[in-house]
Amino acid sequence: MVNTAAKVKVDPRDAKLSMAHFFVAFGALALGGLMGLLQTLVRSGKFELPWGIGYYQILTAHGVLMGLVLTTFFIMGFQYAAVSRTAGTHSPAARRTGWIGFWLMTAGTLMSGTMILLNEASVLYTFYAPLKAHWIFYLGLTFVVVGSWVDGAAQIMTYAKWRKNNPGKPSPLLSFMAVINTVMWIVATLGVAATVLFQLLPWSLGLVDTVDVLISRTLFWYFGHPLVYFWLLPAYMCWYAIIPKIIGGKIFSDSLARLSFILFLLFSIPVGFHHQLTEPGIDPAWKFIQVILTFMVIIPSLMTAFSLFATFERYGRSKGATGLFGWFKVLPWNDARFTVPFIGMASFIPAGAGGIINASNQMDQVVHNTIWVTGHFHLTAATSVVLTFFGISYWLVPHLTGRKLTKAMNKLGIIQAWVWFIGMAFMSGAMHFQGLLGGPRRSAFSTYGDSKQALEWIPYQIAQAVGGTILFLGIILVLVIFINLAFFAPKGEEEFPVGEAENLQEKAPMVFENWKLWLGITAALILFAYTIPFIDIIQNAPPGSKGFKTW
Amino acid sequence: MAKAELKTKHQTEIEDSSSLKGTLASVFILGLFIIVSWVSVYYLFVDRF
Ligand code: HEM
Ligand SMILES: [Cu+2]
Repeated sequence: MVNTAAKVKVDPRDAKLSMAHFFVAFGALALGGLMGLLQTLVRSGKFELPWGIGYYQILTAHGVLMGLVLTTFFIMGFQYAAVSRTAGTHSPAARRTGWIGFWLMTAGTLMSGTMILLNEASVLYTFYAPLKAHWIFYLGLTFVVVGSWVDGAAQIMTYAKWRKNNPGKPSPLLSFMAVINTVMWIVATLGVAATVLFQLLPWSLGLVDTVDVLISRTLFWYFGHPLVYFWLLPAYMCWYAIIPKIIGGKIFSDSLARLSFILFLLFSIPVGFHHQLTEPGIDPAWKFIQVILTFMVIIPSLMTAFSLFATFERYGRSKGATGLFGWFKVLPWNDARFTVPFIGMASFIPAGAGGIINASNQMDQVVHNTIWVTGHFHLTAATSVVLTFFGISYWLVPHLTGRKLTKAMNKLGIIQAWVWFIGMAFMSGAMHFQGLLGGPRRSAFSTYGDSKQALEWIPYQIAQAVGGTILFLGIILVLVIFINLAFFAPKGEEEFPVGEAENLQEKAPMVFENWKLWLGITAALILFAYTIPFIDIIQNAPPGSKGFKTW
Repeated sequence: MAKAELKTKHQTEIEDSSSLKGTLASVFILGLFIIVSWVSVYYLFVDRF
C-alpha cells in the first residue's frame, strides 16, 4: 500500500471529469426519483397520471435513469477519481479518453431518454423482446455501453502505467478494485452489445422482420447479473478500503479484499440463467449448473461480512470496548461518512438473504415476477448501493470542488440516510409481503375484476405510497446536500480517505495481478456455462417473433 | 490485594484487544438469519405447489 506515485489530492483536471459524471448522475436521480414517487402513487389507486402519460412510460424512465444512468455515471466518476488518487494523476491521453467516454455516454443517454419521453420506447429498462422500441432508443444504449468502455479504458491505462513504473509491487488496493470492476463490466456488456447490435437494432430498423426472443433474453441476462455486481463492487470498495480509514481503524486484510474481488469477477458472469429459471427452452441441467455457480458468490459475500465485522471489532477494542458487542457502540455514529454507508451495509443483510431465496429454483416459483423482486433490488441497489454512493459523495464532492463538508451538512446527511431507511422499510417491506401474496411487479393499479386476491394487495400498495413519499423527501434532501457541496459549501480541504492494511508486512501475492490467469478462468467458466445451452437454444429455436408495441 | 487486581485487569486486556469473538457471534447471527428466511419461504413453496 505504500506508494510514491499517489498524491493525497485528486488533481483538479481529474476532479473536473469526475464531477461531470456526478452532475449527470444526480440529475438522473432527481428525475428518476420523481418517477418513482408517481409510480407508488398510481399503484395506490388514489392517483392517475395526467395528460395521457402512461404508467409504463414513467416506469421505463425510472428504471433507465436509476438502474442504468445514475449507477453507471456515478461508478465511472468515482472509480476515475479513486484511480487518480491511488495510482497517480491520469495522463493527458487517459484523461482525454475519459472525456470521450463521458460524452459518448451522455449523448447516448440523451438519445434514449428522448425516445422514452416521446413515448416511443416504453419497453422497460430490460428492453425485453418482443417489445419493440424506436431504433434510436437502442442506438442510444449502444452509445452508453461503448462510452463506458472508453471511459473505463482511462482507468485501465493509468493502472497499467502504475504497474510499469512499479514492477513487482502489488498495485494500490482501490485502483486494483476499480480495474476489476471495469474489466468485469467490459466482459459482461459484450452480451448486451451483441443482442442490441445483431438483433434489436436491425429488427427495429426494419432490416429483419423477426427476433429470436430466447437468444436475446439469454444475452441480456449474461449481462444482467454482472450488472448488479457492477453496482455493488464500488460500494464494497468503500466498505473494504475507505471506511476503515474514516473510523480510524485498519483494513482487516488487504489480500482477503483482493481475493474476494477476484471471486466476484469469476462468479458474477456465468450465472445469468438464474433470471431465466421459469423460461422454457433452456435445459434444466444447465439451469442447475448455473444456480450452483450463483451460490459460489455467497463465499466472497460472507468473506466481506466477516472482514467488515472484524475491522469494526478490532477498532472498537483498540478504543477499550469490551464484551461481545461493546465495539459496536464506540463506532463514530456522528460522522455521516461512516453512518450513511453503514446503514447501507446493514440493509445488505436482508437484501442478501432475499437474493439467496430468489436464486433457489423452487423459491423462485413463489417470487418470480412478483413485486417481491422489486422490493429486493430496492434494498440491494436502491439502499445498500445508493446510500453508500451518497456517503461517498459527502466527502468526495467537496474534495473535488475544494470545499468542506460542514457540520450542518454532515448532520443533514445522517438525517437523509435515516429518512431513506424509514421510507424504504415501508416501501420495500410492503413490496416483499405483497409479493409473497402473489402481487405482480411492473403493474399499474388494477383490481383485476375485483378478484379477492387482488383486493388483499391494496393495503400493501398504500404502504408503498407512504414509503415512496418519504423516500422522495430523502431525494430532495440528498440533492440539497449535493448542490451545497458542489457550489456553496465553504472553501477548504476535505480528505479523500484511503485505508491502510492492519498488517503492512503482509504483501498481497502477485498472482492477484496476473490478468492472463484470471481472465482465462473467467472465459473458461463462461464458455463452460454457456456454450452447450447456447448451441441448444439456437438449434432448437422456435420461429422468430415480430415486434409488439403494447403502449 | 492490589497485586491481584492488577493481574485480572491485565488478563482481560490481552484477551480483549485481539479477540474477534464479537465477529464470530455476528457472522453466526447473520448465517442464522439467512437460514431462517430461506426456510420460511421454502415452506411457502411446499404449501403452495
Ligand atoms: C424515491 C425513491 C424510489 C421510489 C419511490 C421507487 C419506486 C419504485 C417502484 C414503485 C417501482 C416498481 C413499480 C412496478 O414494478 O410496477 C420501481 C422500480 C424500479 N426501481 Fe425504483 N424507486 C426509488 C428509487 C430507486 C433507486 C434509487 C433505484 C436504483 C438505484 C431504483 C431502481 C429501480 C428499478 C431498476 C426498477 C425496475 C423497473 C422495472 O421493473 O422495469 N429505484 N421503483
Ligand atoms: Cu442475478
